[in-house]
Amino acid sequence: MKKIALAVTALCLSISGVAAADDPIAVRKAIMQANAASAGLAGAMMKGELEYNPAIAKAAILTLSASAKSFGEFFPEGSGDGDTTAAPAIWDDAEGFQAALDKYISDTAAAVEASGKDGPADLAAFQAAIGPVFGNCKSCHENFRVQNN
Amino acid sequence: MKKTLLASAFVIIAGGGAAFWLLSAPTSLEAGALGALEEPSAERGEHVFWAGGCASCHARPGADGDARLELAGGVELKSDFGTFVAPNISPHPKDGIGDWSEIDFANAMLYGVSPQGEHYYPAFPYPSYARMTAQDVSDLFAFLKTLPEVEGQAGEHQLSFPFTMRRGVGLWKLAFMRDEPVIPLAPAASEAEKRGRYLVEGPGHCGECHTPRNFAGGQLYDQWLAGAVSAEGEGIVPNITSGEGGIDSWSAGDIAYYLESGFTPEFDSVGGAMVSVQKNMAHLSKEDREAIAAYLKSVPARANGYPSSR
Repeated sequence: MKKIALAVTALCLSISGVAAADDPIAVRKAIMQANAASAGLAGAMMKGELEYNPAIAKAAILTLSASAKSFGEFFPEGSGDGDTTAAPAIWDDAEGFQAALDKYISDTAAAVEASGKDGPADLAAFQAAIGPVFGNCKSCHENFRVQNN
Repeated sequence: MKKTLLASAFVIIAGGGAAFWLLSAPTSLEAGALGALEEPSAERGEHVFWAGGCASCHARPGADGDARLELAGGVELKSDFGTFVAPNISPHPKDGIGDWSEIDFANAMLYGVSPQGEHYYPAFPYPSYARMTAQDVSDLFAFLKTLPEVEGQAGEHQLSFPFTMRRGVGLWKLAFMRDEPVIPLAPAASEAEKRGRYLVEGPGHCGECHTPRNFAGGQLYDQWLAGAVSAEGEGIVPNITSGEGGIDSWSAGDIAYYLESGFTPEFDSVGGAMVSVQKNMAHLSKEDREAIAAYLKSVPARANGYPSSR
């Protein structure tokens, strides 16, 4: 039950982000928190801590898809200063960052496609769909995030 | 009087020079000195390869998948001392290490000395590798020989004086290298903690980034794994002890899962230079990842080894 609540929270977080569009750092943090909640649900099912449920699986994938489509909008010039872990490379290598965003968008779109109307049929199908999406977390954080504390 | 002073100064400088020359001399092994080992095994060596993180610096920058086995070099480490460029260590006879003997390789790994008898800079983490067993070094060499030959040399290091003088590294080694274990484990320590200590302090060379250093680049062993300002300039490398700011809230299972999957307990993902390291750790056995976790839970708790940004 707690995990289902988490799934709902994930969706709400991704929606509430839009309301705070005048504070891009806050919005992108909210989007990332929604991503983490979705990854948490996916991870719990993969580890067997939570029984596989196609509807939850689909909710996780759709949250990541909403994030992929919107995330890149919240990095205006100058938003690298402040309480953020955004790396200067986001602006210094704008082309590379855009390429990373495009990959994230296309990998999540493929996962949405694979999950169909009722969500991936079983855990193996879910893993196959979401695995490539998770690869984006690492590859983007490798070059475009700085750990500050 | 003036003459005497000059003469004394000369004697002091000459004496200092002689002492410098003696103290900074490279130490290395004679042929056959590795002792009685089992027949080298490339299969075991592959495990050592991933534990040692060789691909993170010696594969081409940004390499992924099978390309991480092409050890062309070229990754740049930008430090306060200048830019170090990782060399080609593929088995290419001219551009790589294809014509090295096993003793040449052991001298590089355990003593930081090249086949030509020169010191390597400790950007190559031999201060940690010095804690490895001769068997692991021998197995690793056997595995490296099975990898593809890659033609072409990586660029030269770009350093400024006095760091251009390799001989000075000899003094650095005397002052800062410590090939015994950093953390004395209790006699009752589990096999997992002992294995974890070997992996973390030796091949894994975790302390090279996670332990703060003094002005001369020597590790501050009393702040072992407490986290540090990144040697490459941007951001910090986290505290992985149980001290304030560290990972006390992570269970051993959380640590092992992070090393396997790249996800923290909060499902944040691995980032920065650790992405490549985690890819290496994912190749280890489950038992070895659990051993690393057991050791990290047992190292002394230290507060953050870097200044707070707030």
